[in-house]
This record gives sequence, structure tokens and C-alpha cells, in this order.
Amino acid sequence: MTSIKRRRWRNIRIFLLLCILVLAVHFVLNVSMYPSAWLSGWVLLALILGLASYNARKKLTFIPLARSSTWLQIHIYAGLLTLPLFLVHIEYRPPNGVFEVSLALLYLSVFLSGVFGLILTRVIPQRLTTRGSEVIFERIPVYINKLRTEVESYVLESVSETDTTAVPRFYLNRLQAFFERPRHFWLHLVHSNRPRQALLTDIKALGRYLNKAEQERMLLIEDRVRTKDDLDYQYSMQVVLKLWLFVHVPLTYSLLIFAAFHVLLVHAFAGAIR
Amino acid sequence: MPLPAVADRPQRWDQPFSDKMTDGDVARILKISPFSDIDESKFTSAVALDGILRNDARILNCQAGDIIIREGDWGNSAFFILSGAVHVEIEPPATSLPDAILGRRQNKPKTLFHAFAQLFNNHREPEFRDMSSRQLAGQVGTRGAGESMRIYLQDVGAVIDRFKTVRLEAPKFFGEIAALGRIPRQATVFAEGDVDLVEIRWQGLRDIMRKDDGIRNHIDHQFRSNALETFIRDVPMFQNATQDQIEKLLRETKLETYGNYDSAKPFKDLAKEGIDSGLVDEPIVAEEGHHPNGVILIRSGLARLSQKYHHGHRTVSYLTPGGQIYGFEEIAESARTGKMVPLQLSLRAIGYLTVCVVPTPLIEEHVLGIKPGQRLTTSGPASSDQTPTQKDNSESRDVDNNLLEFLVEQRYVQGTATMLIDMDRCTRCDDCVRACSTAHDSNPRFIRHGPMYGHYMVANACMHCADPVCLIECPTGAIHRERLGGQVVINDQTCIGCTQCANNCPYDAIRMVPIRDQIGNLIRDKKTQFPLIQATKCDLCIDQLGGPACARACPHDALVRIDMRDRTTIGDLLKK
Repeated sequence: MTSIKRRRWRNIRIFLLLCILVLAVHFVLNVSMYPSAWLSGWVLLALILGLASYNARKKLTFIPLARSSTWLQIHIYAGLLTLPLFLVHIEYRPPNGVFEVSLALLYLSVFLSGVFGLILTRVIPQRLTTRGSEVIFERIPVYINKLRTEVESYVLESVSETDTTAVPRFYLNRLQAFFERPRHFWLHLVHSNRPRQALLTDIKALGRYLNKAEQERMLLIEDRVRTKDDLDYQYSMQVVLKLWLFVHVPLTYSLLIFAAFHVLLVHAFAGAIR
Repeated sequence: MPLPAVADRPQRWDQPFSDKMTDGDVARILKISPFSDIDESKFTSAVALDGILRNDARILNCQAGDIIIREGDWGNSAFFILSGAVHVEIEPPATSLPDAILGRRQNKPKTLFHAFAQLFNNHREPEFRDMSSRQLAGQVGTRGAGESMRIYLQDVGAVIDRFKTVRLEAPKFFGEIAALGRIPRQATVFAEGDVDLVEIRWQGLRDIMRKDDGIRNHIDHQFRSNALETFIRDVPMFQNATQDQIEKLLRETKLETYGNYDSAKPFKDLAKEGIDSGLVDEPIVAEEGHHPNGVILIRSGLARLSQKYHHGHRTVSYLTPGGQIYGFEEIAESARTGKMVPLQLSLRAIGYLTVCVVPTPLIEEHVLGIKPGQRLTTSGPASSDQTPTQKDNSESRDVDNNLLEFLVEQRYVQGTATMLIDMDRCTRCDDCVRACSTAHDSNPRFIRHGPMYGHYMVANACMHCADPVCLIECPTGAIHRERLGGQVVINDQTCIGCTQCANNCPYDAIRMVPIRDQIGNLIRDKKTQFPLIQATKCDLCIDQLGGPACARACPHDALVRIDMRDRTTIGDLLKK
């Protein structure tokens, strides 16, 4: 078994043990008529604070606070552990009241965005290595610009060589917008090849009306279309990889604020409950 | 139709070592022994002795304190003292001349407080350099300009009083072992007063050695008495040898060199040619199917182990200096069976290679413990354990063969800290780049981009090569190898921006950058008004707590810094 698989199994075993522990403690506290919500609430808050501190760790790379990968492993499994704790804390019942419902929804949003992000970070990198060449995200516009310039030069060469407008017309109608900026964001996310196939089919169909010189130019353009489509794919996937954190992190901060307010309310009205 | 381009074939001495050598200088050298004892008639007219001295040598006029060579630095030339005296530092490393007075970068790991303070203290402007601290560095000075610029000790007398040194007077050679063997300089040498030296490129020295027994015997004696004994004693199979056996080994072991030594450029070309070049250009050290003449020990450089495969050769493994041997198992098997067992693999030089060949009879006698003609019993040493080469080969089998070919062809196996990124795990978050930037005053020292094999990327970061060709032509020794950790680092205080290191690096891992002051203005040369540039590269976060920030910052274990000499680690990594 590889080291990463070994680590995964070890962490899953620890996680399951902790889940059982949470449920067992809850059961024991319930049986002994102790209000378990206090304990589960504080543990949950402590866990959420610990989880949020990973973002700070990422900024303090120069301090030897264990490797970021170790932190991420703890972050993932501690994050998953918050779910049984949360369920225990709300006594397996939907909360009532606007504030409590908002807090619960916020927690679930953070949890689900985390799980979603985890899936993305495991799936997308492998997709990125199988299509197109590796490209730095910030340089994608530069490459697109370069491709556009090349295609435009082929179009102009075609006009000057053949004195017909088939290729420039096709460029204006079908390709200009395509080469302007990254395209087909959503379709790339679902792995759709439709736009690419449609363009390539149109290029092929155009071929029967072109002479040899124009066909040669169109072959070069076709090659650039494929490259641009691969770049678009890289762009879409990398955008998602970068953007999900812009959902997960702000939601976490909102959750912390709501949780702090929740603690305040609980303690303010604790006497009344008793 | 344009005429085909024609040009004179480049000749060996188109670019002499120095264009300032005169006939008078050559005549002056030829008057002094051992050059005066050389029989000039043994040299051909194409490579005449005076031609060698005029083109492969130069006169250096050093002043008191000038550091001629520093321990640990790389160099491709030897020195001969014409007049004056130099001092060779002979203190053990722990009490040797401190880095500060040798112009080396001082790398004190940051305290926790200083590490944390980087969060606020890093400069906003790129490539900030504190010129005031440069002037206050004090202990080391530079003089001269361009090629002849050198660093010097400011208080020679105090250094001679305080540190143990040996005085060498004219006429005397030094630095020849490191130059010919392409190994680091073994000691620091500095001028006592005004000294005239002849610096000879290794090619010139090699040609003189070929024709003149006196100089060859002198250098051979120096090598056997100084360098070879240490090397032989470090080889595990000779560690139990008696003094008599060691002396016999020293007498009979041969030193052989293969491949092209000339700077990094042919190496760079080879790396660019890639897999298509085949192995035709690599000199064969020992060939598969031949009788083993002896055990081959790698002294410096890199060697490929290959095996015939259909109509080509398949790379099976590679050997680097440090206890790896070739040919032992065949000799042991021959001794065991009584039949000649041919070499199972070919050994080829990648770039420049220096090997020591210990003849077969010596191995049979001192390692296998048998006399010529005798057969080894099954309980003999060779049958009990795998030899290092066998172990290496079995470890290499864990590595995908095509990946191994890629790593060897592109010379990435040179790296002692190669940055390898598993792109199937990398989320392109650039946490590694940000961490690097934070650790280097907001200046990232690598680019997360580079050649890929499958889903592995070799990123554009300094690999801290086992044979760092970037060090060879640095005029001030600003780029150097750390004595303790072996990291290749640049001292900003002594880097003059000559670009030699960046041009020599086969992997383009060194970048020249314009430097700036506190408010972001380019710092300009007082005379020319051109912006000053300096070399920058990854320093493996030598002054940071916890090691390379890039690897520590990767959340997905995608980025690793890997020592390519350790095939077990590569195998483990690829099995992850």
C-alpha cells in the first residue's frame, strides 16, 4: 500500500473512532440527564476556531508549525467530525427561530463548501494534466492574445494570397469572438466537447469551398482552435479551483461571527433556561 | 538562391584564456623549473608548449590578502607560483577561516521572532538591496574589475597569526587536483604579499602532462598522496583494508577521465538534445559483454548504466559519487564459478566523469580474499550480500523506466534538491510560490513551471546540483556551496552581476535581476549609470526555520525537494 493510502486509512480509522466517541459521550450524558448541548457546543466552537486557524497558518509559512499538508489532513478530518458534533448539538432536530436556522444553514454551507472543495481538489488536478499543456493561470490571457494574433495573421495572409473573403468572413462570423477571451466556461466544467466539435465541423465544412492555399491556412487555424479550446478548459478548471475558497473562507468568517453571537445569547439567557 | 553560409571551423584557441598574455610572459614562464625542464620537441606544432602557455594560461598579479581559491569552490584551473608566496589554510573545518572574511554569505537561521517579523518587515519593492550594509560588511573587500576582480582578506597578518596555514613559495603548483578531477577545492589559498601566479586551464595542464613525464609524475604523486587515499578509505569495501593493502591500492589504482569538461555549454546542449540524441555521444567507460578489468568507482560526475535493448540501449540506472561501484558482482561471480562472467551493463559518462579503476587482481585479493586462479567459496563475501550496484539497480526498477530515461537525459539526476511536483495532486494554488516569496523578502526564487513527464513536473528551481557548473567561472566566488549543508547559494555582498553563473546553468535556474533601493529606485552604477544587476536563485531557505518553505507550504504533498542520488526515495515517491 502506498504511503498516501496508508495515511488515508489511518486517518479514516481515527476519524471513525472519534465519531463513535462523540456519539457515546452524547449517549452517556443523555442517560445521566446532563445537558450535553453545552459540551458539544463548546467542542464544536473550539473545532471551528481550530479549522479557521488553518488560513492563518497558510500565511505564516516561515514559522515551523508543521507542514501545511499535515494541517490540511487535520483540517479535513476535523471538519468532517464537526458534522456528528453539530447533529448531536442540535439533538438531531431542525433548529427553530430565525437566528438559529440562519446559524445552522451557515454551518451547513461552510461544511458543504468544504466537502465540495475537497472533491474539486482531488478531481480537477488530474483532469488538468490530461488535456492541454500545463499553463500558469495568470499567463492564459497572454497565450490567448498570442493565438489570436497568429490566427489574424493567417487570415490576412490568406486574403493577400488568394484575394477571396471566405476565410476572413469565417473568422469574423465564427472565430473572432472565440479568440477574444476564454469561452465556454460552464460547458468545460461539465466536460462538454460540443463547442469544439461544432467549430471543427464548421472548419471542415468550409474546406470544400477553399483552394489549396486557403486550406493550408485553415489547417493552421484549426490547430490554433484546438489549442485555444484546451486553454479555455485549463482556464475554467483553474478558475473553479481558485474560486471555491472565495466561498468557503468568507462563509467561515460569517459562521464565526454568528457562532460568537450564539454563545453570547446562550449565556445571556442561560439563567432563564435553568 | 542564397549562397550556403560558410565560416572557418572554430579552433581550440580562438578564445585564449587571457588576451593579455605576451611572448615575454611565455618566455618568463619557460625559464622557471619545471617548465624549463620540459622537452619542447615532444609537443606537436599544432599544440606546441608555447602555444599552450600563451592560450591556456594567464599571469595573475595578486596583492597581499588576495584570496586565490577558497575551500569548497569549484574551479577548472591550476596555479603555479612564479614569484612570492601564498598561504594554504590547513585548519580542520570547525575552526577554519570564517565565512565572513572569505566573502561567503553568512547564513544564520532566523530566530522565531525574526521569522515572524518577516510578515511585517518584508519590502514592498522587488529585489531590495541594503547598500549601507554592503559597505559595512567590512571584513571582506573587493579589488580589480571585471574578470580580474577578486576578494581579499583585509588583515593578512592577523589571519596568518590566528589560523594555521602552510606557506608555499615559488616555484610550486597548487589547485591541480581539483581542476583535473572537477571536485571542490580542498583548501583556501591566499597571497602573503605581492605574488605572481600562472593560472593554467585544465586543458593546457592535461596536454603538458601528456607530453612531459616530470609534470605528470609530480601531479600523479600529488594525487595519490593527497586525494586518492582519502577517497579509497571512504569506499566501504576497503574500510577494513590494512595500511599495506591501502598502499598497494594507491600504487595500482588508475585515475581516468571521460567526456567533455569544457564549462557547462556542451552539457547544456546535451540536455537540450534530449532523448533523440541516443547514447552515441556518451563516451563508454566499460561496455556490456566485455571482461571486467577492475572495479570502477565514481570520483566525480555522473555515469549512466545501460543495457542493450533491441536496437538501442535502455537506461537501467545511473551512478553518482559516493560509494557506488561498478563491475564488482561480475568479478565476484567469475571468482565463484571459475568462468569469465562478462559485464552485464555498460557504463557511460554523462558530461564529464572521473573514475578510479581498481584492477581485478586487487579486488580478488583484498576484497574477495582469494589468490589468482583460486575459486571463491559460496560463503565468501560476494555471495552474502548484494553489491551497491545491484542494490541501486533493484531500487531503480521501482522507477518507471521511461521516467528514468527522462531524468537522466535531461540531467535532472544531477539535482540534490530537485523540485518535483506531482501535477495530479497540485491544485495550482501557488501557496509554494507565495511561501518562497515571503521567505525571500517578497521575491519568489522559482517559477512553478517546467518540463513535464507524465504528471510529474520538474519546476524551474535551482536543483543544487551534485556538480554545480554554475560555480566554475564566478570571478568573486559569490556563488558558492555551503560547507555544512552543501546548498549552492549566492552572496549579494560580492555578486558583481557578471552573469557567468546564469549563462552556465543548464537549467536556466539562475535569474539576473536589477536591484533596487528602499523606495524602489533602480540602483545604478556610479560610472556607467547602468542599473546594477545581481544573480538570484533558490537557496533552499537556508536562513529560514524548518527548511524549504515551498515544500512545507504545499497542502497536498504535491511538491517535494528530492535528492536524485537517492533512488529509493524516488521509488517511494512515485509509488505514493
